Amino acid sequence: MGFWEHLWLGVLTVFTVGPAFEIFGIPISITLLMIVAGFCIGIIVGATPGLAGPMAMAIALPILISIFGVKQDALLPVLGFLIGIMKGATIGGAVPAILFNTPGTPDALLTTFDGYPMAKRGKARKALKAAHFASASGDTFSDLVLFTSAPFLAIMVERFLDLPEKTGLIILSLSFIAAVVGRSAAKGLISAGLGLLVAYIGKGEDFYPRLSLGQEALADGFPVVTAVLGVLILGEVFKGLEDLLRSGPQARDLSQAEASADNRFGWADVRACWPYIRSSALIGTAIGALPGIGSTLAATLGYASGRRSHARKNPEQARFGSGRIEGVAATEAANSAVSGANLIPVLSLGIPGNAAAVFLILAMDSIGGFNPGPSVFKLSGGVTGEGVNPELVVVFGIFTAMMVANALNWSLGGLFMRSVGVMARIPKHLLLPVILLLTLTAIYVQLTSMAGVYFAIGFGFLGYFMRRIDMSVLPFVIAFILGRNLEDTARQAFAATGGDALFLLHSPIALVFILVSVAVVAMAFWRSEAAAPPESHHEPKTGK
Amino acid sequence: MQKLAKFAGTALLAVGLSAAGLGTAQAQWQPSGPIKLIIAFAAGGGADTIARATAEEIEKRKGWSILPEQVTGKGGLNAAVALAKEPADGTAIAMIVTETLGYNRVAAGNPVALEDFTALTTVAGFQMGIVAKAEKGWTSFAEVIEAAKGGQAIRFGTMSPKLSDLAYLLGEANAVAFNTVQVRGGKAVMNGVQAGDMDLGFMAGIQAKGVASGDLVNLASAMSVPLAQSPDAATMSAYGVDFNADGYFAFVAPAGLSDDARTALSEAIIEVVSDPSTKAGGIIAKAFAGAKTISGAEFDTLLSSASNGAQGLLSAASE
Repeated sequence: MGFWEHLWLGVLTVFTVGPAFEIFGIPISITLLMIVAGFCIGIIVGATPGLAGPMAMAIALPILISIFGVKQDALLPVLGFLIGIMKGATIGGAVPAILFNTPGTPDALLTTFDGYPMAKRGKARKALKAAHFASASGDTFSDLVLFTSAPFLAIMVERFLDLPEKTGLIILSLSFIAAVVGRSAAKGLISAGLGLLVAYIGKGEDFYPRLSLGQEALADGFPVVTAVLGVLILGEVFKGLEDLLRSGPQARDLSQAEASADNRFGWADVRACWPYIRSSALIGTAIGALPGIGSTLAATLGYASGRRSHARKNPEQARFGSGRIEGVAATEAANSAVSGANLIPVLSLGIPGNAAAVFLILAMDSIGGFNPGPSVFKLSGGVTGEGVNPELVVVFGIFTAMMVANALNWSLGGLFMRSVGVMARIPKHLLLPVILLLTLTAIYVQLTSMAGVYFAIGFGFLGYFMRRIDMSVLPFVIAFILGRNLEDTARQAFAATGGDALFLLHSPIALVFILVSVAVVAMAFWRSEAAAPPESHHEPKTGK
Repeated sequence: MQKLAKFAGTALLAVGLSAAGLGTAQAQWQPSGPIKLIIAFAAGGGADTIARATAEEIEKRKGWSILPEQVTGKGGLNAAVALAKEPADGTAIAMIVTETLGYNRVAAGNPVALEDFTALTTVAGFQMGIVAKAEKGWTSFAEVIEAAKGGQAIRFGTMSPKLSDLAYLLGEANAVAFNTVQVRGGKAVMNGVQAGDMDLGFMAGIQAKGVASGDLVNLASAMSVPLAQSPDAATMSAYGVDFNADGYFAFVAPAGLSDDARTALSEAIIEVVSDPSTKAGGIIAKAFAGAKTISGAEFDTLLSSASNGAQGLLSAASE
């Protein structure tokens, strides 16, 4: 079966498999329903300060799996829901940033710079419309780049990279993530090292469990969900609870200015914003395709580049930061453009670049039947049917789900986001215990064992301590996910080269990967030695 | 093959009936709750697909609820250990390969015993071939040996320690050394061979479609008998190795399962896998030359002889 048949099958699976109900005789598939639900929840979550997309994805995943089971046809509804959250949260984050000067998601921090001054002048609706337009444009652009580049990247990897080079590539991704995510490269490396250490407990090729201290509960390692949810979510909750204890509940200033007359977002505004959206979308997409950096840096770079070019081209106008609509657009286009491109390394290499991608990989892993990596893009090689590669069908299903979410974003997104301003009123001292309870429940639901809950709480404390000493948790989580892959590939490369212990140095491409890894880490050390990097380089704990 | 399967099914039913002495009692055996199906294979591979498709079809036909659960790793032993701890009331079964309770169990120093399990039924026999991409130009394993003797480094993909031992012995018997690359699951071998990461590899049936289309070639049979699909490919004994990779995909339950539960579960599985119109049966018919359902006492014998053979291979490979 050729390319177009796979594409068509993928589209069909999203729209026709498992009709949930009918509207005017047109059956609505369960996947479609889940995308809509995920998208709406994503906007709500994004608009709630203290909640972020990955958090909702983390809690939703185990619950979804217990509802849908781990059957093949569960994959697209679950992924559709998660993708909906991922996309919804990006636009939702701008809402409280503009209305109340409180970013709903970490990457919306820079949206407050111009969005809130606009709101104070009574132009909140206009700022929200600009944020929505920029967000949806950036997102759509990023998706299109994903659709076209992921297959080619995968084919290149298959054609040019042998086992030693693949090992080198994983090492490079891990070093890159460790070096660039946090303020300190050393802490990033320690975080990644800890992740690998935990990943190697109980696993391995031998028949005997490794590092399990003879404990049967550890014979097959820590369940992925306990480590990931524990460190990412529980750690954040524990830290939040402690902050609350120290400072007491804080009242936010939630007063809104009266709307002024002109709140339209017309052609003139689109024309004014378009150049900034364009360059920010490019920046966001490029950043998104690199593992580890995430949407906060994308937003920072998009905003900074927009500010520079605005000051150069329009020296007579007020600068960014004083309530310019272009500033809102530049930020939102950049942070939204991350969400499509971050699936490029996921689908073509199996490497998650950020927290949202971690949960997508986790979903694929838990449900099974889809192993992200170069082989999913083959036109044949499936085990069932006549030459259909079911994994490729899933890829096209994912692409279709993303386009559906985009269509939702363009059509309903703007309307819906303007109605969720109320979420900023939820006090943190009520929110945190609810998240705690939901996370523990979700873990129990998936594992149905108290051991899993205890593990997760233990990892929660680990995440808490890492945050206390300002150590980024993302390298831990990504190293934990990639650990097994790294070991397998390295073992195979070692065996395939006839037991050459220096296989990483004997292949030119692998050598380049290793040298770049060293250089990335060295530069990060040099950078943190030279000067404390700006605040925004620090990917916040649950950054997207 | 199908007739044989049907015959085996009927025979099993007859044995079950006479053993219980009551015609109707065990036909009505029902699980007391959802059945946990432990799958020892990597998600998305051929064996996993068969396990899940079988479960779905049984749900449809019997109205039971079956919850598949992946417990992979350690050559199926993680799954076996997990299953041994489950209640023996028919609410927990596992799909493994016979190698798990044979070679792998012995090699791991017996973390579980054969007596910990009730054998239900095999579903398909390996069609284990030594396979390469057609574009390599090899038509038999002899040509691979020639290439290796000519100085070419040959990467031999395997998916279990037993197969790695066999790859080693094949090299030893022919005075060449292969670079044995062990991966997780037959699909990983398939992907490795397709992507050029490996030059050839063991495949237990997943190669059928590729061989039929001419993309892949069965260079040799790794079993005691020739492959159904490529009867001309020589067995390993032609290359000086007297061991083989015979084995089956099989369902087992914890020890102490009542006879009527054993019969009912085995029958339900056999009924599905022997029917090529079902998804599971269809894959088995295509990839494994039809269902092979050995159950009851015959399956017990098979398992104990597999264990006895394992020791010989282990000592040969470690000489």
